[in-house]
Amino acid sequence: MTGPDVLPGSHVPAPQAGDGPLVVACLRIGDLRPAVDPLDGSVTRDRWGVGLPPADAAALEHALRVSAAWGGRVVGVCVGPRSVEPVLREVAALGVAVVRVPAADEADAHRYVTELADDERALARTLLAAVRPFGPPDLVLCGDRSVDRGTGALPAYLAHELGAAQALGLVALQPNGPGALLVERRLDAGWREQLRVPLPAVCSVEGAGVRLRRASLAGALAVDGVPTPVDRSLEVEAAGSPTGDPGSVHLGPTRPYSPRTRVLPPPEGDDPRLRLLALTGALVAHDPPTVVQPESAAEAADVLLDFLVRHGYLDAVPGGGVAPSTGDPTA
Amino acid sequence: MPEVLTFDAVVVGAGPAGAAAALALARAGRSVVLVERGPFPGAKNVYGGVVYGRVLDDIVPNWWEEVPVERWVVRRSTMMMTGTQSLSVDFRTDAWGSAPYNGMTTLRSHFDAWLAGKATGAGARLVASTVATGLVRDGAGRVVGVRTDRDGAELHAPVVIACDGVNSFLAKEAGLLPRAEASHHTLGVKEVLDLPHGAINERFGVQDHEGVDMEILGCTREIPGGGFLYTNADTVSIGVVVSLPQLAASGVRPEELVADLKAHPTIAPLLRGSSLREYAAHLIPEGGYDTMPALASDGMLVAGDAGAMTLAAGLWLEGVNFAIGSGYAAGRAADRALAAGDCSARGLASYRTDLESQFVLADHKRLRKAPSLVLSDRVQQRYPGLLCDLAEGMFTVTNPTPKAGGLKLTRAAAARYGVSLRQLATDTVRGLRIFG
Amino acid sequence: MSAPPPARRRWDGISFEERMATVDFRVGARAHIAVDADVCRSCTTKACVTACPANLFAPTADGGILFNYEECFECGTCYMVCNSEGALTWTYPDGGHGVVFHHG
Repeated sequence: MTGPDVLPGSHVPAPQAGDGPLVVACLRIGDLRPAVDPLDGSVTRDRWGVGLPPADAAALEHALRVSAAWGGRVVGVCVGPRSVEPVLREVAALGVAVVRVPAADEADAHRYVTELADDERALARTLLAAVRPFGPPDLVLCGDRSVDRGTGALPAYLAHELGAAQALGLVALQPNGPGALLVERRLDAGWREQLRVPLPAVCSVEGAGVRLRRASLAGALAVDGVPTPVDRSLEVEAAGSPTGDPGSVHLGPTRPYSPRTRVLPPPEGDDPRLRLLALTGALVAHDPPTVVQPESAAEAADVLLDFLVRHGYLDAVPGGGVAPSTGDPTA
Repeated sequence: MPEVLTFDAVVVGAGPAGAAAALALARAGRSVVLVERGPFPGAKNVYGGVVYGRVLDDIVPNWWEEVPVERWVVRRSTMMMTGTQSLSVDFRTDAWGSAPYNGMTTLRSHFDAWLAGKATGAGARLVASTVATGLVRDGAGRVVGVRTDRDGAELHAPVVIACDGVNSFLAKEAGLLPRAEASHHTLGVKEVLDLPHGAINERFGVQDHEGVDMEILGCTREIPGGGFLYTNADTVSIGVVVSLPQLAASGVRPEELVADLKAHPTIAPLLRGSSLREYAAHLIPEGGYDTMPALASDGMLVAGDAGAMTLAAGLWLEGVNFAIGSGYAAGRAADRALAAGDCSARGLASYRTDLESQFVLADHKRLRKAPSLVLSDRVQQRYPGLLCDLAEGMFTVTNPTPKAGGLKLTRAAAARYGVSLRQLATDTVRGLRIFG
Repeated sequence: MSAPPPARRRWDGISFEERMATVDFRVGARAHIAVDADVCRSCTTKACVTACPANLFAPTADGGILFNYEECFECGTCYMVCNSEGALTWTYPDGGHGVVFHHG
């Protein structure tokens, strides 16, 4: 088996096996702006459209933050054709060791994308085989959605192969002491739940909340023109059986992210019909909807603001009017 | 204390000028870093569409065998138009269709990346996605490097070459470029339209990789400027270039002018069925020789658009070749200054003398009066219509009325457009003096 | 009150939004354009509103200027046509962000 070469000339010493906790970022690098012909469906790919999808960029940023908190190392791994190398170099500029597993057919990026979408399990095994020289991962991070038909199945296969706990679709992620993570996930209606995830773990994150940091100038210069390491072992089948039982994820407090609903007093009266009418306001006279068509946007804004004030949704600003003052120095 | 990295030279901007400068320095064995603010060279760049390759002959031998080309220009058409008429002078030659070629259409994301690749291949270091935010000066005020927006890290070198484009904040900070003057700039807006390769060949009368270059006068309403149409492999580039202050005063939206041009009866059939691939806009420094900044100061040189090197002289619209020529000369001058150990303005003065002796400044100097003539009211507003009317008068068969003489027709057309024969003669002489 | 903003008209069957959607903008976190609305209120020409090829500037009811920075071509037209010193501050977006021309 051929292990991945480390980046020659990189200013950051590439991490070795057994050198602090290992965080792996599984990156899907693809063309973010493919042009699809509306008539024949053919896809035109642009060599300069290749980039990290937002969710994968967020995964990488989380990986960097978590590993900094742990004093650990980050490895970025992807399967892809040679055209992803410039993006992988930018990842390497962040001080991340990178490995690329070449696509089965280097020349045909489109076929590689199709194949991977077809077999997420093979992809999971390929990725894990490629990072094995770095040691057993403590945390594997993925984007929850990727440009090339991210199905969400990859993290599950990764967790299965590793015998790790999994938590998917996260918006926040922070270390909770050694050996655990405290993460957050969106629920319906603007609520969020907190999970305590034991290690080793596989987590997927949303492309939101964090922005991928920029590499230092020295980092960016160190990777200029340097070929990224390629793992050619392609040991898809040799991933081995899961090691140990995965830890279990504990559900923490669930908290709302939207204001609570307003409680209305129950309507008075004995007659259920009247109570129902009072509750629904069915017989109360309503203003019919008005379509305003004033001359300019400014007038339209005035009409709308007037309406809101009249109905008590807005407070009128002292001095008359609700719009920001128009040149009145005393306002 | 910000991180500091030291080189022999820092080149800001990986467009044609910067890439050529870095190439010259790298070939001379200097350590040079090329700073590009876009994610790749060419990402921020827009041009009409033709690169004239002669300047590359000495820099990249047999460049045509490897350059990313869309089409080789074999037809050049200069068109005058009014709303309903057009008059073209159309030239075609086989000579431009084979090596060493004359001009080519290419896309900047391809061409600029190729040229920057030549520089990195020769040993220059490229750092993309990085803005040079300002100059670093020593105690004596000499430029000794640039600050970047990567945590304020600095790149230090005895010489900085600013190839940072038409807005060149570095040249302004160094005091070489005066305050941005709208009247020395034009705005180019361009649409790239999808059109199948075969359709382009049929409609423009070319085959295989042959292309067409059309320059158009009289298509920009009352705003001084012109239009262009260039064929790429399976797209066409069409757009207008207009005077910036007069565009602002006119209240006309730039994309409206392109729409006008596309709808013109001469142009519309060429573009039928095409769809918009990319819309773009960029400024062009068109002031010419008389508005150029000083090109060197202590520790710093300016090249390309940053030095207002674009030649916009009516018949000639060239920019990339001037950028390459000036950039390469700047790189060589910087190398000479480094060898002599004197990177002061005096030590770098060979840059200007070099440019004066070759086409870059020689052309600009010879055509220094062209911008004012080309953008003058008569050339812009009256001559296109006058010439179209003249042609219409000549070629309209008026039987049984006998044909009118050329002079009579000229008089009538000139009168219709409020041009006296004396003015016509004056402008002809002016034109001959400038272009002759 | 200033003149109503120019209507966004459709030219040759394509709306301005569709036109801008053909361009690759990699929007950065920092706004690279800043406008001092107080200075703009005293401006009578508002040249930036008509000249900006990306149509980023809109006059507000109180005579100021409202602007977007996201879909900027980074051409520099706005600050060059601006006739009030200090009204418009324009820098390049952070490295790697902003417009990316693929067919420039």
